[in-house]
Amino acid sequence: MTRPGRPSLHERRLHPHVLFDVSSLAPQVAAVRREEPRCAALPDAAIAAGFAALGARVRAGESEEELAVPAFALVREAARRAIGQRPFDGQVLAGLLLRQQRIIEMQTGEGKTLAAVLPASLAATAGRGVHVLTFNDYLARRDALWMGPVYARLGLRAAWIQEGSTPAERRDAYAADVTYLTAKEAGFDLLRDSLAMEEGDRVHRPFHFALVDEADSLLIDEARIPLVMAGEEAPGTHDARFWDGVAAALAPGEDFDTDEYRRNVFLTEAGVSKAEALSGTNHLYETRSLPSLVALQNALHARTLLARDVDYIVRGGRIELIDAQTGRVAERRRWPYGLQEAIEAKEDVAPSRRGRILAQTTLQGFFGRYPRLAGMTGTAVPSSEELFEFYGRDVAVVPTEKPCIREDLPDLLFTHREAKETLVLRAISDAHAAGRPVLVGTASVEASEALAARLLERGVACRTLNARNDAEEARIVAEAGAPGAVTVSTNMAGRGTDIRLGGSDEARRDDVVRVGGLLVLGMQRHDSRRIDDQLRGRAGRQGDPGATRFYLGLDDDLFVRFRLSGLLPQGVDLHRRDGPVEDPVVLREAARVQRIVEGQDFDARRMLSRYTTVVERQWLHLSEYRERVLRREEPPRLFREALPERHAATVAQWGARAVDEAERRALLRCLDRGWSDFLESVAYLRDSIHLMDLVGKDPLLEFNRTAAEGFSELQRDIRAAVVEVLATARIGPDGIDLGSAGLAAPASTWTYLVRDEHDGTGIADGLGSLAQAVAAPLWTVAAILKYLGKGKKGGKGGSGR
Amino acid sequence: MPGMIDTIKNAFKIPDLRRKLLLTLGLLVVFRIGCAVPVPGIDIAAFSRLVDSLGNIGNLFDAISGGALRQVSIFSMSITPYINASIIMQLLTVVIPSLERLQKEGEEGRKKIMQYVRYATIVLGLLEAGALWYGARSAQSGVLPEFLNAIVVIFSFTAGTTFIMWLGEQINEFGIGNGISLMIFAGIVSRGPAGANALIAYFQNWTLSYNVLVAVALILLVVLAFVAIIGGVIFVQLAERRITVQYAKRVVGRKMYGGQSTYLPIKVNMAGVIPIIFAMSIMTLPATIISFFFTSSTNPFIIWLKAATSQSVGYYVIYALMIFGFTFFYSMIQFNPVEVSNNLQKNGGFIPGYRPGRPTAEYISRVSNRLTWFNGIFLALVTLLPVVLGGVTKASGLWFGGTAVLILVGVAIDLVNQLESQMLMRHYKGFLD
Repeated sequence: MTRPGRPSLHERRLHPHVLFDVSSLAPQVAAVRREEPRCAALPDAAIAAGFAALGARVRAGESEEELAVPAFALVREAARRAIGQRPFDGQVLAGLLLRQQRIIEMQTGEGKTLAAVLPASLAATAGRGVHVLTFNDYLARRDALWMGPVYARLGLRAAWIQEGSTPAERRDAYAADVTYLTAKEAGFDLLRDSLAMEEGDRVHRPFHFALVDEADSLLIDEARIPLVMAGEEAPGTHDARFWDGVAAALAPGEDFDTDEYRRNVFLTEAGVSKAEALSGTNHLYETRSLPSLVALQNALHARTLLARDVDYIVRGGRIELIDAQTGRVAERRRWPYGLQEAIEAKEDVAPSRRGRILAQTTLQGFFGRYPRLAGMTGTAVPSSEELFEFYGRDVAVVPTEKPCIREDLPDLLFTHREAKETLVLRAISDAHAAGRPVLVGTASVEASEALAARLLERGVACRTLNARNDAEEARIVAEAGAPGAVTVSTNMAGRGTDIRLGGSDEARRDDVVRVGGLLVLGMQRHDSRRIDDQLRGRAGRQGDPGATRFYLGLDDDLFVRFRLSGLLPQGVDLHRRDGPVEDPVVLREAARVQRIVEGQDFDARRMLSRYTTVVERQWLHLSEYRERVLRREEPPRLFREALPERHAATVAQWGARAVDEAERRALLRCLDRGWSDFLESVAYLRDSIHLMDLVGKDPLLEFNRTAAEGFSELQRDIRAAVVEVLATARIGPDGIDLGSAGLAAPASTWTYLVRDEHDGTGIADGLGSLAQAVAAPLWTVAAILKYLGKGKKGGKGGSGR
Repeated sequence: MPGMIDTIKNAFKIPDLRRKLLLTLGLLVVFRIGCAVPVPGIDIAAFSRLVDSLGNIGNLFDAISGGALRQVSIFSMSITPYINASIIMQLLTVVIPSLERLQKEGEEGRKKIMQYVRYATIVLGLLEAGALWYGARSAQSGVLPEFLNAIVVIFSFTAGTTFIMWLGEQINEFGIGNGISLMIFAGIVSRGPAGANALIAYFQNWTLSYNVLVAVALILLVVLAFVAIIGGVIFVQLAERRITVQYAKRVVGRKMYGGQSTYLPIKVNMAGVIPIIFAMSIMTLPATIISFFFTSSTNPFIIWLKAATSQSVGYYVIYALMIFGFTFFYSMIQFNPVEVSNNLQKNGGFIPGYRPGRPTAEYISRVSNRLTWFNGIFLALVTLLPVVLGGVTKASGLWFGGTAVLILVGVAIDLVNQLESQMLMRHYKGFLD
């Protein structure tokens, strides 16, 4: 085991929530090693029996911490016998840290999958299910199949869940000791369970311990996209195709414009007149025209801000969304609020049904349901502060088994796309000719295909890996390390992709090693350094040789969106040239853009977290009540109290049991329906709450206050709704007819892509009138300058673009 | 007001919040004790006379420092250097690109900027303490040679301010509310008893010079006016005009929970207290200059000016007009209808019946103008009523004027809001009960 370089004092100060020195666990690692000869002598049956005995001791109240050493020793032996892999000391150390519920940083290829088996088995011995949350479905199945024999030797059962798994398969998998699945599946099962009408319909057991793979991605990057469960609703009255036609006739820049970060699109005054003329609407901006305006807005959004082969692909006559994080197609995911219909109109495919949100949670709220949570990833340290703030977990760095000899070459920055592409193509063909495998990371499906086409023109054989050909993923990745192989990929070849040098069987490994190993080229910087590092991490696994380099352009999407040009000092020479820019100022500022993006994303996630806390709590509160109703622990009383006569008559006719059951079902449905309405109302409130900033009120406080008032109102409404249903619905021997009361269960469910992005209007000073009183002259100067500054910026934004 | 007391009562029932509240109170007590610790080397009585000679401005600064200024306490400068430093830093972030970038970088950048503000506070503190010492040279006392005395005084003042800054940050982090506002709040409130004493003294005077009935009537008048001012200030401070707004991102659902639909609030008092302060500063300037340089001048112009700047009707009319003018000026630079309209448009919002862009901006501007007229009249009344009342009852210097009330009300509303938001997070009764 090599010692990692001692982190500098600066590094320690920068990351107060990182445990750099894990030597305190060395005695335990040594103790596990000492147990090894004894375990090696045990017959197979004794290993399972010994492990079961440990489980009994945990159940009897012994702490897992004390049992970690004997347990890990048994797991190590089981792994050696079952799959022929003996967990290294580093993996044992990682297991110990995971057991302490930390987020561990472990380099690619160091064996996170096997390391996770150690704490997972120990936590599962007592009979409570453990979830290993993987990055994607493919890894869930692969890891469960791969590690299954190890668990079997220990007398435990491992199972996995895929997106297409049936409820019965899911229930069975959750009943296993260790379940491998994606966090999304687990989260959606939680949402589906929250809508169950019978106890037996649910699939989850009570949550116990989650081990999150690629933890930074799941706990941080994806935390921004809430899990939303939607059900079908009657189609809307407006015509998406008609409004798509109107939007198509409007000219960008003249009739409509986008905001600086290209997150919103809006009509200009000229555009409003034109749209009104085109659609024959007198006044678009009237309350009664709102549905038309929403449809037009969606059509504009679909045409302007969402691009085919970047945000989605069209396949088999359907729109399929591409997950921005994984680069994969996200099954059963849609855009909300009519945007999906607008895209379908734009791409001329058959419209799908409309939906409404039934239940929703954030990944952060979902992870909060686990009493124990640990995670592992190759890139945790840069986000340690955030991991601590949101999840209260420290990061620990596991030293690498073999030193990493990968060479990270300095970035090359170009003034324009063509220059960048020319040099990238040259670098690729040179490497290809030398027999060196190359992996190129591009931004989108479109970009990957364009680059591949240009490579083929030059006679360089290459394969593309993107959402469109995801079926061939395993085969493409297997051969990506073969001599001279060129693979052009999207984010799909980032996390969890294991590229072996010399092809899948490593037959020609030496040839590849001789020419320098895998060459990874990035075509742009991502929104965070961690994602860049993940792409880099595809090269140099387990001490392999390899090199990486990023090719950047001043016209890269990231630099344009966050206006790198505005950051550069005056007088920097930026005229087009064919070679890379070498000005250190430009390179430094380019690196800074990424830090700005990271900082803003952190702030946005913190905002999202603050805005969801109260609603999450309300959901928990409602769910606890619903749970009691579901388990028939809450005595039905609304019917008798509110409608004594009808209640008595119905009881006389069908018996008390049937009537109670009718009330229970009506109550459950009304709870779900009410919550769905509430969520919709909260979403609308969230849109407008930033206006509170204008009067110096804290938008968050106003939001929470309104949500709290709304929650009381919701309870009154639910009660009234139940009474109304019971007063009018037909109650027969088969129970209550909820369909006639408009409360039929949704026919199908899917998930929504909801991006929670709202910008505030400014930062409230917090001191307000006080600052005015104490520092009146200075304050005045500041206010005037700000006023003038805004006027100037507004002028600029209006004229040029 | 009763709602506020309930909020505080309920807050004390939650252990976590109780701890925060007690800690805050404890730190405020520390602050108040510090206000009574005098700086060595300056004669308190002589210094107090200097403050008096500054008139209303001196009174205001004394009020903001919680009486520490007149006491020549180590906290005399109050938190002024810190506030100045924050404003300067805000200005610099607009002007200096690298600071702007730092601010954009999120948490880490903001922490760095905070650190700069702290350093700047100390530098400004030294400068202001130097000025204070220079102004108070005539009140020097003690045995040290002058330059040593200067060092002692300047460093004591600066250390005091630095300590207050630290106290304020402790409250921000571990207590509740904005520490700096709360300390100033505590300072102003602590002068309540002194105000009551003054009132009693006046009552006795009036009883002697008129009779008991007149005295009671006058006291009632003062108290009523005071209550009316506070009530009015609270009302106007909270008042806002709500313009209904709709969003074109989604069709509104079946029901909006939690009260009215979405709206754009426009505050009545957008200008804050600054028009009053500026008008006051300008209007007291002649009197201050006269009292400093021309106390015994026989120049007819000075004598006329002296008369004109004290109790004449014309003086009050100009005072009122000035407040009015400043109200418009500050409302204009604080609230920009075009910017609000653009912001609304970019977020997909609109005011039903008005197209986005110019029509919306014009409408918002019309509404806010009307509010500013009202606000100007109100601010003038709040400022002048105590002065006029003082003239009528001959009870000048009674407690404080509208400015202090405005500050108090602002801080109190803030605190209650913070408490409420903390309680929203933890307080649920049974479901469907």
